[in-house]
Amino acid sequence: MARLAEGGAIPGARFVDPTVLARIGKLDLLARTVVDGFINGLHRAPFFGASIDFAEHRGYVPGDDIRRVDWRLYARTDKYYVKQYEADTNTNFSILLDVSKSMGFSSGGPSKLEYACYLAACLAYMAHRQRDRVGIITFDDDIVDYVPVSAKHFDVLLHTLDRAKPQRAGSLVGPVNKMAEHFKRRSVLALISDFYEEPDVILEAVKPLSFLGNDLMVFHVLDRGEIEFNYDDASSFEDLESGEQIPIVPEALSVQYRALMQEHISALTTKFSEHRMDYTMLNTSLPLDHALFTYLAMRERMMRVR
Amino acid sequence: MSFLTPAFLIGVSALTIPVLIHLIQRERKRVVVFPSLMFLRRIPYQSVRRRSIRHWLLLCLRAAALLLLVAAFARPFFPQGALAARATGGTRELVVLLDQSASMGYGDRWQQARDAAHKAIDSLTGDDRATLVLFSRNAEENVRATGDRLRLNQAVDAAKVTSRSTRYGPALKLAQSILSASSQKRKEVVVVSDFQKTGWTGSEEVHLPEGTVLTPVSVAGTSTANVSIPSVAFARTSFSGQDRLTVTAGIVNRGAAAVNGLTTSLEIDGHQIETKPVAVPGNGSTSVSFAAFTLADSYVRGTVRAGTDPMPQDNTFHFVLTPGRPVSVLVVTTREASGDRDDPSLYLAKALSIGTTPAFQVDVVSAVRMSPAMLDKRAVVVLNDTPFPPALAGGALKKFVEQGGGVLVALGEHSTWPANDAALLPGTLTGTVDRPDGRGGALGFLDYSHPVFEVFKAPHGGGFSSARVLRYRALTATATSRVLARFDDGAAAATEQKTGLGRVIAWNTSMDDSWSDLPTKPVYLPLVHQLMRYLGRYEEAPAWRTVGQVLDLTSGSILVGSRRDRVALTPAGKRVTLPTGGGPEFLELDEQGFYELRSTGTAEARPPAVAVDIDPAESDLSVMDQGEFTAAVTGHAGPQATSTAVQEPETPQDLERRQALWWYLLFGGILLLATETILSNRISRV
Repeated sequence: MARLAEGGAIPGARFVDPTVLARIGKLDLLARTVVDGFINGLHRAPFFGASIDFAEHRGYVPGDDIRRVDWRLYARTDKYYVKQYEADTNTNFSILLDVSKSMGFSSGGPSKLEYACYLAACLAYMAHRQRDRVGIITFDDDIVDYVPVSAKHFDVLLHTLDRAKPQRAGSLVGPVNKMAEHFKRRSVLALISDFYEEPDVILEAVKPLSFLGNDLMVFHVLDRGEIEFNYDDASSFEDLESGEQIPIVPEALSVQYRALMQEHISALTTKFSEHRMDYTMLNTSLPLDHALFTYLAMRERMMRVR
Repeated sequence: MSFLTPAFLIGVSALTIPVLIHLIQRERKRVVVFPSLMFLRRIPYQSVRRRSIRHWLLLCLRAAALLLLVAAFARPFFPQGALAARATGGTRELVVLLDQSASMGYGDRWQQARDAAHKAIDSLTGDDRATLVLFSRNAEENVRATGDRLRLNQAVDAAKVTSRSTRYGPALKLAQSILSASSQKRKEVVVVSDFQKTGWTGSEEVHLPEGTVLTPVSVAGTSTANVSIPSVAFARTSFSGQDRLTVTAGIVNRGAAAVNGLTTSLEIDGHQIETKPVAVPGNGSTSVSFAAFTLADSYVRGTVRAGTDPMPQDNTFHFVLTPGRPVSVLVVTTREASGDRDDPSLYLAKALSIGTTPAFQVDVVSAVRMSPAMLDKRAVVVLNDTPFPPALAGGALKKFVEQGGGVLVALGEHSTWPANDAALLPGTLTGTVDRPDGRGGALGFLDYSHPVFEVFKAPHGGGFSSARVLRYRALTATATSRVLARFDDGAAAATEQKTGLGRVIAWNTSMDDSWSDLPTKPVYLPLVHQLMRYLGRYEEAPAWRTVGQVLDLTSGSILVGSRRDRVALTPAGKRVTLPTGGGPEFLELDEQGFYELRSTGTAEARPPAVAVDIDPAESDLSVMDQGEFTAAVTGHAGPQATSTAVQEPETPQDLERRQALWWYLLFGGILLLATETILSNRISRV
């Protein structure tokens, strides 16, 4: 993947692949639900206000601005109705990035963390382009870095991504609960992790993020080696986070392992879908632009359905 | 362990190959870092771990098989056994002589002896054999030539101290015969004893086979203090027709320290009748006399006790007493007894009236008044210078003699003998011989081997030579008679003829002082008593016997019922059926105490009893020189003398061939390889 502005003035800018952005730029990143904001943009405002998109009529109640009374309708019906419009606005876009040690794994190519950083940068860039406020929270078993959402924090976000290192073991429940307490406004949240926990535990941890009407996108980043488990020699496998080693004969275990991994992914897909959360599994061996394109196309298609 | 072909052991180095491969593989083993072992842990862990263990098992099996095969080809054997065998000369024939005499009951000697015997038995190895001989007065082969240590030890545990005395001769002779017959290369005798000096005379003539190692194991401690009662004496007096007895016990102290206040007691029929304190000086002796008591019944059991000490057996002395039975003597003479000086039976009757052991009941009758009925219950008839009584002619006297009666024929001038009873007389009567040469004749020869004269055997015993014989009746002895004494001219002075169970002695001169002054000599009285005892078959029942003696059941002093239904009750309470039939009837007395002889089916208030005491020599605990003992028996000094027999050392080839360990190793190796093949096939299928 070509890197943009490598060694440039803006740290993290290298993550933005022009090829990816060229393909993503043709798509609109739309929030699934209306996010309230102040700046008109591509997002639909959750509140009716000054907008050209008519939404509906409602009966006049004392206190309403008489300028919003639809006099033509009064003429036809002899009743006062007020016209309501859907106001376009910008929104908060937060990236929740897992930087635990397991994210540092790589069986070839970029590590899962690197891949996740590319993804985060791309998403942030798109949000930033449509004038959404962007922010980032990195975590392992606790909050590591926190960049509040702001229209001016895109550079800080990229800088944070650049500094992210897998250093400690990870846990989802603790840090996510802390984050959930933090989000006071409706936001678009992108949670990026490898999700090495039980599906039920993950779901229970993630649920609070979807409160307040947040739009949660879940990106499950896995290495090819994790998915296919294509090891040959008997080896001692060491857990990246705990350091525990167990002797493994891969040829005897690979089938069972793959089955368990697929079962895990399926469980996550089902459970996130049940709770109206977008779940995307990303294989780091596949091009990022292809993955993003696939996701955004799917997301837009789902928005239309809704 | 050594090997016959140790070069093959180089093959052991092949063991390192699989180990090295394993180690190299281990070094090269990759550690693969993986994000999470969450899913790997869920896979049944055993499938990973067991496979690893199985491989280790295979590795071990292969290595063990290889090791066994290499060891088998190296032909192992145990040189330690070989060296031991070479040093000691091969397998042993061990004879353990365990002393179980009464003295071994002193203190804890018996326990020490058994421990020593166990130790000797436990020293058996390999093909060694041992024989256990228990000995005391005699030797008994208890367990014969076996390597079964358990059996030998059990026999030692079952052995007990006896009451018998100690004699080393029989035990050593038995050991000599066992070792002589043995083909074992090493011969060893272990004597476990207290080595009593009294048990070894030095003239046993025992010589163990050449090369035999004799190991004396002494359990005699330093203390030999012992109080014992070696004997008891009885003083018998007659009072109101009953015997009164005074018992005097001798007490010996074999310890250096004096014993004061030693309690001695006399028990009669189980009742203690008197107790006396006694002081016995160190290494000295004393005697104690108890008050006289009346002996009313027969077979009265008495016991003298003298305190207690580490050897209690000899502190007790048993005896059995019976009132004396007088010997009934009928003196037949030419005239009735008058008691005056001319009475020909005066001296004879006076001599027989003296003495209590036995007492003589003398009746004097003239020949003319003699009747056959007078022979009833008579022990002896004396025909004192009298013609043959007409009443006894016709076989009455012969019958009396044949039934066990005794006849003393004092030949004088009146003596005659009928021809039809001539066989009774030891010879043929001829004329009278005078010895008128001043001093007269004398007794020139006495057969001291005869019971009558045996007591006079000592030098100057009796003083027969001082008696003068002026006249005697010549008698020509028959071929079946035995001349007991002769005059100095060679003529027979006393001649014996045995007929049936009885005896007839012809005394060729008168028993009064008419022909001889013998009645005036001191020897006259004992001579007459001896003649009466012998002719009357008098046997005084001994008050006690010693352990080891044999009781002759045909003896006159022991008359127990009929021959067929007799039993003996031993001191330990065991019933022994006495031998029956026509053979010898003996009872071996090997326990201390009272043996009771009963007739079955009869309820005797006082059955015949025999008191048995331990040999007084057993109380002497003096220890002999073991070096001298060893030298006398083996011919070389010292118990440590090693075998001088040159033994052919076994070569390693012999040892290896005998042990043949390689067969087992080879079989084990093949078995392991087969197991490994089966196991690896199963693993490969998984």
